[in-house]
Amino acid sequence: MSINLLYSIKEGFLSLRRARLATTISIAIVTMSITLFGIFLILSVNIQRIVQTFKTRMTIEVFMDNTLSNDEIAQLEQQIKKTEGVEAVEFISQEKALERFREDFGQEMVDILGDYSLPASILIRLDPTHRSYNQSKQVVQKLEVVPGVDEVIFHGRLFQFVDRYSRSVIVVDLVILLLVLLTTIILVSNTIRLTIIAQSRTIQIMKLIGAKRGFIRRPYMVQGILQGGIGGLIATLILWICIKLITLRMPNLLTVPMMYFLMPFLISLILGFIGSVVGLRRFLNA
Amino acid sequence: MIQMTSVGYRLKGNQILTDIDLRVKAGEFVCVVGPSGAGKSTLLRLIHMQIFPTSGYLVVADYSSRNMRPQDIPLIRRKVGIIFQDFKLLEDRDVYDNVALALWATGVGYKQIKRRILKILAEVGLSHRRYSMISDLSGGEQQRVAIARALANEPFVLLADEPTGNLDAEATHDIMTLLKRINNKGTAVVMATHKAELVKTLSVRVLRIEKGRMLP
Repeated sequence: MSINLLYSIKEGFLSLRRARLATTISIAIVTMSITLFGIFLILSVNIQRIVQTFKTRMTIEVFMDNTLSNDEIAQLEQQIKKTEGVEAVEFISQEKALERFREDFGQEMVDILGDYSLPASILIRLDPTHRSYNQSKQVVQKLEVVPGVDEVIFHGRLFQFVDRYSRSVIVVDLVILLLVLLTTIILVSNTIRLTIIAQSRTIQIMKLIGAKRGFIRRPYMVQGILQGGIGGLIATLILWICIKLITLRMPNLLTVPMMYFLMPFLISLILGFIGSVVGLRRFLNA
Repeated sequence: MIQMTSVGYRLKGNQILTDIDLRVKAGEFVCVVGPSGAGKSTLLRLIHMQIFPTSGYLVVADYSSRNMRPQDIPLIRRKVGIIFQDFKLLEDRDVYDNVALALWATGVGYKQIKRRILKILAEVGLSHRRYSMISDLSGGEQQRVAIARALANEPFVLLADEPTGNLDAEATHDIMTLLKRINNKGTAVVMATHKAELVKTLSVRVLRIEKGRMLP
């Protein structure tokens, strides 16, 4: 490791100690901004997950002629499976239909409908590209003309409703996330820029004694990365603890892949670096 | 060494220096004397390449202001030490680190840095204060730290801009004696001061400057 690099790293760490108050304030601001961003990121990911989960649960149900034999039903099931836009099918036998009725209504069917028996059906889950109203409508039209199909149950208005509002929810969510990210970028990079500006005298002196730009720049970059990194690390820790506490009480509410913990930390590191470079540019070019 | 030829400097419509011709030879002690605002500091800043002439040109250690590249400036400043009236020291560091900064900047090795600093601090009489913080030092001591830092890279010339401006009579005498001693060891010194009486006792070349012009 070169002498200069060693000096830069040492100075980067020492500068945190030398300007304790400024560093503490800067790290606190970075922590708060990154925590806020992290919260919105996790919320956003989960809102989109909920919307997608809701869409996967919207199914089409195909009822068959009562006259079909078991073999014919199996053939029909295979034919439906091959239809464009169908992701998966599930055969609901009369017994299973009865069981679902019991689960849904909490009573025996005989008590409500008398001797009426429920027909067997095929439950269809659409692939992600056919989960909109228009696409699913096309699938329904194809299914209606398949021989052996008696009736296709499709909640068109529900599809339309989800279509319209899921898109709005995702757009609003992304816009908010973008605004929070923008605020975080401005806040974090400016905070670190200001801590560099506060050390303008040191930079001027370094220039006067013949230090090259790289030599002046490096310790401040280390300082910026450290401030961003420490702030990001604390923010990640806060987010992790919050998620743990929430999932302890409500286990299925949030799903947070590891990447979404790493992302705020990495963004914080990068912003720390950018803040220091921008802060320095003003003095180095003077 | 240092050669100024018809140098002029103009800033925001004001002519600060006019038609300056100056030659400083190796090992010379030159005092530039004149009232406040005469252009003494500007002259030193030109030699230190902090600013550039708006007319004429100057040559410092084979570097000419006419074909200067930005990356040459740090290299010149390592050959031209400078001290100021307000010392320009880093107050959050001790004496050792202030002097070491000049050596770190040039990529000198750790062991060499230590050896050189101890030698320079002995020369300026501050060995016993090497781990003192700058704020714990007197004005005279602070100026000696600044001199040590300026000498760290063994420059051929030391520029001193009102080096005694903030010092009492005793400290002034000490600093002037130190500057003379440094000069006797072969380093040229160019000092700017408004205190004409300061140079009377020194056997040095005195240049008088007034309203940006060198007096004959």
